[in-house]
Amino acid sequence: MPAFLFVTVFLIYPVIDTLRISFFNRNSTEFIGLDNYEYVFTNSTAQSALLNNVLWLVLFTVLAVGLGLLFAVLSGRVRYEAMAKAAVFIPMAISFVAAAVIWRFMYAYAPEGFTQIGLINAAGTGVGLEPIAWLVEHPLPYTDVTLPGPLHTNNFALVAVGVWMWTGFAMVILSAGLKGISTDILEAARVDGAGEWQIFRRIILPVLSPTIAVVATTLVIQALKKFDMVWVMTAGNFETDVVATLMFKQMFNFSDFGRAAALAVVLLAAILPIMLISIRRFRAQEET
Amino acid sequence: MAGVRFKNVTKRYGKVLAVNGFSLDIADKEFLVLVGPSGSGKSTALRLLAGLEEINEGNIYIGDRLINNVPAKDRGIAMVFQSYALYPHMTVFQNMAFGLSLRKTPKDEIKTRVEKAADILDITELLKRKPRQLSGGQRQRVALGRAIVRKPDVFLLDEPLSNLDAKLRVQTRAGLSKLHQRLGTTFVYVTHDQVEAMTMATRIAVMDQGIIQQVGKPQELYNRPDNAFVAGFIGSPAMNFFEASVTNGPQGMKLDMDTFSVPVPKDRLSALNPFLKKKITFGMRPEHIHNREFLPPGCEADGDCITASPVKAKVEVTELMGNEIFLHLVAGDKSFLARVDPRTSAKPGQDIEVVFNMDNMHAFDPETGQAIHTQKEKGQGEGKEKVEKSIDLPS
Amino acid sequence: MMARKLEPLLSPADGFLPRLRKILSRWPLHVILIVTALLWMTPSIGLLISSFRPATDIASSGWWTAFQTPFEFTLDNYSDVLSQNRMGQSFLNSLIITIPGTVVPIMVAAFAAYAFAWMRFPGRNALFIFVVALLVVPVQMTLIPVLRLLTDLNMAGTFPAIWLAHTGYGLPFAIFLLRNFFGALPKELMESARLDGASNMRIFFRLVLPLSVPAIASLAIFQFLWVWNDLLVAMIYLQNPELAPMTLTINNLVSSFGTEWQLLTAAAFISMALPLVVFFALQRYFVEGILAGSVKG
Repeated sequence: MPAFLFVTVFLIYPVIDTLRISFFNRNSTEFIGLDNYEYVFTNSTAQSALLNNVLWLVLFTVLAVGLGLLFAVLSGRVRYEAMAKAAVFIPMAISFVAAAVIWRFMYAYAPEGFTQIGLINAAGTGVGLEPIAWLVEHPLPYTDVTLPGPLHTNNFALVAVGVWMWTGFAMVILSAGLKGISTDILEAARVDGAGEWQIFRRIILPVLSPTIAVVATTLVIQALKKFDMVWVMTAGNFETDVVATLMFKQMFNFSDFGRAAALAVVLLAAILPIMLISIRRFRAQEET
Repeated sequence: MAGVRFKNVTKRYGKVLAVNGFSLDIADKEFLVLVGPSGSGKSTALRLLAGLEEINEGNIYIGDRLINNVPAKDRGIAMVFQSYALYPHMTVFQNMAFGLSLRKTPKDEIKTRVEKAADILDITELLKRKPRQLSGGQRQRVALGRAIVRKPDVFLLDEPLSNLDAKLRVQTRAGLSKLHQRLGTTFVYVTHDQVEAMTMATRIAVMDQGIIQQVGKPQELYNRPDNAFVAGFIGSPAMNFFEASVTNGPQGMKLDMDTFSVPVPKDRLSALNPFLKKKITFGMRPEHIHNREFLPPGCEADGDCITASPVKAKVEVTELMGNEIFLHLVAGDKSFLARVDPRTSAKPGQDIEVVFNMDNMHAFDPETGQAIHTQKEKGQGEGKEKVEKSIDLPS
Repeated sequence: MMARKLEPLLSPADGFLPRLRKILSRWPLHVILIVTALLWMTPSIGLLISSFRPATDIASSGWWTAFQTPFEFTLDNYSDVLSQNRMGQSFLNSLIITIPGTVVPIMVAAFAAYAFAWMRFPGRNALFIFVVALLVVPVQMTLIPVLRLLTDLNMAGTFPAIWLAHTGYGLPFAIFLLRNFFGALPKELMESARLDGASNMRIFFRLVLPLSVPAIASLAIFQFLWVWNDLLVAMIYLQNPELAPMTLTINNLVSSFGTEWQLLTAAAFISMALPLVVFFALQRYFVEGILAGSVKG
C-alpha cells in the first residue's frame, strides 16, 4: 500500500530518528545522554517556551471551545444563521501569515502623541488611555503590574489571534453536533418544564459532550503545535517563544539538532496522553 | 383534571394551512383519538395544544384557562413522543425524575412517584439502565412513565405505538386503555392508524387537510360516516366505492354500475330521490358483500339481502386470514373486495356470485363527498351533536 | 355551559403586547450575535480597506478614516505587489504546490480508507488505529529526519519533495475522515454490487467515490487550506526563493519591509482570495462532510 510508504517515511521513521538524535550532540556525532533534556527543562528560554505553551493550551482551548459553543447555540436560533456563522468562520480560511498581517495592523502602535493607525490603540487613545505596544509590552495594560511567567500582555495578544482564527472551527463542528440532537428530546424537556438555560445545562451539554471532546482534543493538539502564527507575528521575540518556534530556532539559527530533537520529543510526550485518550474513545465509538 | 377546548384554531406554515379552523371540545377523562393520514394536521394540532407551536388564530383552553400564551411547561400537560425522546445520557430513573426535579419536588417524593409509575408499567428492574440498553417496547414504557410521574391534567400521545412491532402494538393498545382507566386523566392521542383509533378511543376526530372531517364515537364513525373520506378511512379493509347512476326500473329504484346493478332499499328511496338520473358515489364495506353460498345469519331471513340481485364476479386473488377470507373480485371493469366466510371454495380465476347487503349501503354526493343520509340517520346525527354539546367541562 | 363561561376571557391569540414582549426578550440574543459577527469581521475588513489605500495614508491614519473626504483609493498596491516582489511567481508556486498537494493525498487516502472500511485483511483495525494515532505527531518533530533524508536523495528544495511531504502529513486525517464516511455507507449497497459481480476497483470508482462527494469535498477544503496556508513545511523544504509560495514570500515581506503596510496588506489579501473563493464554493459540502466523518452520533 502506497499509503503506508508515505506514512512510514514522513511520520514513523522521523519519530524514531528524532528520538535517537535527541540523545546526541549538536551534529549528532557524539552520544551525550540526557544533556539536551536538561537544557529543555533548565534553560530559562526553554522554560519560558514551555510555560507559554501551557498558557496557549489552556487559554486558547477554553476560549475557542467556549466561544464556539456559545456562537453555535445562539446562531442556531436566528434566521441569518448562515451569515453570522460565515463571519466567524472566515478567519479559518486565512493563512496564519495573512492573519498575522491583519493583526499586526490591529495591534499597531505609535508613541503617545502620534496618530494611531492600529484600531485597538486608536480606540484606546480615543477614550483617553495611553497607547500600548501590545506585542512587546509586559505589564498589564494601563497598570504598572507585571505578571510573572507566561502571563505577559503580548502572549495574551497572540492567543487572542489564535482564538480569532479557531473559534470558527469549533463553532462549525459543534453546530453540526447540535443539529444532530433530535428536536424531540429538546421538546420533551420543554414539556417536562425545563427553561432554556436548563435545557442547555442538563440536556444539550451532556448530549453534546462527545463532540465537545473531539473539538477540544483537536484544539489542544493545535495549541501544542502552534508555530506559524507566533513565528510571523513576533518570531518568538519578547518572550513569546513556544516550543515549536524555539525548536525551529535551535535547528536553523543555532544548528543544534540535538536540542531541537529533544524539544520535539517533549512535545510528543505532551501529546501522547491525548493520543491515548483519543484512541480509547475511537475504539469505544467503533463498538457502539 | 381538565377537559380541553379548541376554538377556531388555525396554524399556517408560510402559505400552507396545516390546521384550519379547528374546533373541538374534549371532555375531562376522555380518550380522544385524532386520526388522519400523514399531513392531515393531526400532529400539528397536538403540538399546538402542547405549546410546541404557536397558534396563528383562535384559542385553546385547558379546563377554563386560556393557554394560547402559556409556555409548554406551565400547561399541566405531559407528552409521549413518537420517537419516545428519552434523554440518552440519563438512566431510566433520571429520565422519569427530570420533570419533577425541575419543579423542585422533594427527593423522597420523586423517588416514591417514580417507583410507583415504574411499578404500574412493570419497569422497576430497568430503572438503573440507560435508554440505549432498552428494547423498543421498554423505551416506550419509559416514555409513558416519564409522562405519568408528572401527574398531568392532560396526557398527549403522538403516535406512541408506531415504532413497535405488530404483536407488541396489539398488547400495548390494551395496556394503554387500561392505563387510561386507571389514571382517570384526559388522553389526547394522535395516530394515522384507524385500528388504534377504533380500539382505544372513547371518541375519535378524523382529520384531513387540516380540517376535522367528523367527530364521534368509534361505532358512529363506522356506521354513519359523514363523508366519503371518513367512510374510506375508517374500517379495514377499506370500503369499496363505485360510481353509480340512480335509475328507476320496473322493479323500482336501483343503482346502475353499467355492468351490474343493485336495488335501493325502501328506507333510502326518499333520500336518493333528488339524485334520480344523476350520479352518486355508492359505498359498500367488504364485510357487507357476501358469498352466495354462505350467507351470514340474519341476511338469509332478510328480504333485502336476498332480493338484492346476485352479482356475478370473477375471483382474481384470495387472501386467507384464518377466520375469514378476502376475495379480490372483478365485475366488468369494477374491482372490489369482499370479506367472506372462509369455507368458500372460490379459487382465483373462478366466477362466483356475491350478494350486496344493501341495508348497509352508503351513498355520497360525488361532488361534495358528503353522505346522503336518510331522514332517520339525519335525526341520529343531530341527536349526536346535541349530546356532545351538552358535555359540560367541569372546572 | 362552558362556552358562556369562557366568552369574557376570549382575547386575540396574537395580541400586540405578547408579541412585543417576545421581540424584546430576544433582543439580547440578536445584539450578542451581530456584535460578535461584526467584531470577528473587523480585522479582515480593515485589511481589505487598507489594501486599497495609498502608502502615505496607510502610514499616517487609521483605515477606518478612509471613508472621510477626500476619498483616496488606489489599485497601485496590487500592481506593485504583483509585479515587483515576485508575488506573481509566488502565487503560481502556491498553485503548483497546492494542487498536487491536495489531490495526491486524497487519492491515496481514499484507496486506503476503502481498504480499511470494506476489505478484510489481518490486523486491519490495529493498523487503522495506528494511523489515527499518527494524527497527533507534531509536524515539527519530523522536519529534521525528513530533511536529512530528502537531502540524501537530492530532493530537498524541489516541488516533488514538498508534494510528498504534504501527502505524508495529510494522510492520517484524510484516512480517518474517509474511512468513517465510507464505513457509514450502507453495507447492502456493497453486497449487492458484489453479487452483481463488481470487482473492488469497480465498487470503489463507481459506487463509493460518487457517494462520498460531500466527505471528499470537505476534506479537499481542509487539505487545500492547510497546504495553501502552510508556512513551516515550505520554509524548510523549499529554501529556494524562486520556488517560494505566497505564505513564504509574505513572511519575508513582513520581516524585511516591516513598515511597508501597503504591500503587506495587498499581498495578504491576494493570498486570502483563493481560499475564500474555494471555501464559499464548497461550503455546502463542508458541514455535511465533517458531520458524517468525524462527529458520529
